Amino acid sequence: MDSPAISFRDLTRCFGPFTAVDGITLDVAAGQFFGFLGPNGAGKSTTIKMLTGLLAPTSGHIELLGLDFATHPLDIKRQIGVVPEGLALFGRLTASEYLRFVGRMYGLDLKTTNSRTEELLDFMNLANEPKKLVTDFSHGMQKKLALAAAVIHGPRILFLDEPFEGVDAIAAGTLKAMLQRMTERGATIFLTSHVLEIVERLCSHVAIIHQGRLVANGSLDELRAGVAASISGPQPEEKLTLEELFLRIVGGSGTGTPEEAVQELSWLA
Amino acid sequence: MAGVETASPRAGWGFLSPLARGQYAAIVWVQSRMFVNSFRTRRGAMEFGAHVLVFLIFALIAGGPAFGLGFGAWVAMTHGRVLGISVLLWVLFLAWQFFAALAPALGGQNPELSHLLRYPVSFGSWIVLYLVYGIAAPSTLIGIIWAMAIGIGISVARPDLFLWTFFTLALFVLFNLLLARMILAWIERWLAQRRTREIATAVFLFLALAAQAFNPVYRQNPHNRPFSNVQRKTANHFASRALEAQKTLPPGLAINSINFRAQHHPLEASEDLLWLGLYTLGAGALLTWRLRSESRGENLSEAPRRSSRARAKSQTRAWIDFSGPIAAVFEKDLRYLMRSGPMLYNLAAPLVMVFVFGGAFRGAGQFSSLRLQYALPLGLVWAFFGLARLICNNLGMEGDGIQFYFISPTPLRTVVLGKNFLHLILFLLEAALISGLVVFRFGRPSLSIAAATLAWLVFAVPANFAIGNLLSITMPYRINMSRIRRETGALGNGLTSMLTQLGFVGVGALVLVPCAIFGHIWLAVPIFLVLAAVALFTYLRVLGSVDRMVQSRQESLALEIMKTT
Repeated sequence: MDSPAISFRDLTRCFGPFTAVDGITLDVAAGQFFGFLGPNGAGKSTTIKMLTGLLAPTSGHIELLGLDFATHPLDIKRQIGVVPEGLALFGRLTASEYLRFVGRMYGLDLKTTNSRTEELLDFMNLANEPKKLVTDFSHGMQKKLALAAAVIHGPRILFLDEPFEGVDAIAAGTLKAMLQRMTERGATIFLTSHVLEIVERLCSHVAIIHQGRLVANGSLDELRAGVAASISGPQPEEKLTLEELFLRIVGGSGTGTPEEAVQELSWLA
Repeated sequence: MAGVETASPRAGWGFLSPLARGQYAAIVWVQSRMFVNSFRTRRGAMEFGAHVLVFLIFALIAGGPAFGLGFGAWVAMTHGRVLGISVLLWVLFLAWQFFAALAPALGGQNPELSHLLRYPVSFGSWIVLYLVYGIAAPSTLIGIIWAMAIGIGISVARPDLFLWTFFTLALFVLFNLLLARMILAWIERWLAQRRTREIATAVFLFLALAAQAFNPVYRQNPHNRPFSNVQRKTANHFASRALEAQKTLPPGLAINSINFRAQHHPLEASEDLLWLGLYTLGAGALLTWRLRSESRGENLSEAPRRSSRARAKSQTRAWIDFSGPIAAVFEKDLRYLMRSGPMLYNLAAPLVMVFVFGGAFRGAGQFSSLRLQYALPLGLVWAFFGLARLICNNLGMEGDGIQFYFISPTPLRTVVLGKNFLHLILFLLEAALISGLVVFRFGRPSLSIAAATLAWLVFAVPANFAIGNLLSITMPYRINMSRIRRETGALGNGLTSMLTQLGFVGVGALVLVPCAIFGHIWLAVPIFLVLAAVALFTYLRVLGSVDRMVQSRQESLALEIMKTT
């Protein structure tokens, strides 16, 4: 079996007394479209930050493309692309200036950078605002630009933190097609999203993190089988959706149904 | 739904309404909590220490002249020399406005209140908060202390005028506060647009050049030959006109009002006070006009007024046509600078300073020739001050983009090297301009002084960059590129960098002065070159360890640079 594209062991991150990520171990095979899910504050973004070098782990071991992150950070960074939570954009550049900057930072020559910049701006529908500064872009446009910057160097692994949030439906369709094409060509995509329909449609494998711990991991069918095994009564007739799976796996820790919770806020209009 | 409250229970929108008072209380509470919470970090405690130190420095700056102004006012009032007090008020007025206009270099910026826009803060409350925040500016505090000193001087000489003097000077202080805030707010607005920024730069350069030309014409020659009789008559004619004209302007109106009151002419005194009030209202109206746009969520950015549909292909052109991360960082930072009015303003400030303070060196007397010799090294010190904010906080402009450096394969030392390279070019440009200014005003320095100055620069530049890189990583803060603001965390960094600059000046003086005393200035050259070798070695060591230092402080660095308020 080939070595996994992403592999981490006992990954832990503490902020003072609070443990945000608690000893997670996971392997993601090359070419997989991997969904990393969890409720708010579960530790998804912290995990992605550690995997991309934005945050140092408290303990644990990370390997990407067979390289140890602790000893080969730059070799790894050359081969990965990231759309982080904060998007990491330079607000006072135009879109083309920003992409040209990013291309050169990844070591592309100027000719390649320029041609890819134009291609990506056209593809992302950002070419019509050549003078507009990034800071004046809408959130969706910024997201598309961040995605363009993450792929300009042709990465082998792409980390995406909520890539479709704020992106219009047309653009989201184009982006999904682009990402699927990338996985077909062997790239690995590691994605977090709260839009479970998208994850269900795109991802071949899913992991769920809750309160810093990994609570589920596998293909959708494997997750369904796991949930079915935990149900003692009659089995559901139809296949469970990812949303239903997610709620069954992590939803049990709440104080009641969403309807019951809303009843508490009686002063709301 | 039963029991639903559809509106806030605190009705009313005035700046003294219950809602507004509640908001003021909330803001005071938040500020106090932020102050208390800042002590949780060592950096916060350092920032507080820097505040105390700056307060003491400003107290000293304000204290000496305040005593002089108070004493002057007492003497002038005792001897019935009203014109003398008028001069004092003009000094106060001009110093206040001058220091406020140079706010980016001195820390007296406009407060940032845009984060309050999301709350139901009325426009009246907005203005009140804007002014209350603005009172904390050093120029305002110094102005108020000086006005109080003048008021005390007058009142001691004529106790019966205490109330009238107090009221008049209070109005004069309010006028100055509104005018200074108004000027700064409009400067900020104009600098935010590229076209107006270009016009402002052109006007500024024209005025600077005109001022350079005016000074030699006024002085006739470097030996300060006295005016001829014809010129003296002309000067006297203009002086008497100016004396009359100043009576219609706020400082003149304020002192005339007090003078009329002293001579028991209450009607004339009230008339002048009324005019002063009208000036105050005028300044307030212009400030209100500006703030009205801001309170409606105006975005001070370079967004084009009309959306351009031109293709990107024809618009994108590399400024520096070569590949590589150093060139990329250089070009990106240069674009950032060219798009930031406040930063360009900051770079221009040293030139103004050299011009203004250069006047102090042009006195007659036996020391003048000695002092003129050192005009070049002293002038070049200002070049460092102008760039200190960039050199000592070289990651501060990045904002959210700082994350990109952590995920890109380019080592941080390469990024820092690119930035140092740009700052070196800017420094050389600024130094060349200042040198030109100094030579134009004071003549060519001797060869030995020029060589010693150059050798000192070869030492000071790498030393400055070494310290600057260390401070950029250990004491970073986010720079607001579009507003003239004092950023959170800037004081500790600013004070440390200022002390460092003074340290380099001190080293220069320690080497140069003994050499000059013994008449061997050229000896300073090899000494500075030895120091330069040490500084260069230190710079390279610091540059080599940038990545290691950043790695150990990555989270706090990102937190500080990505801070939004």
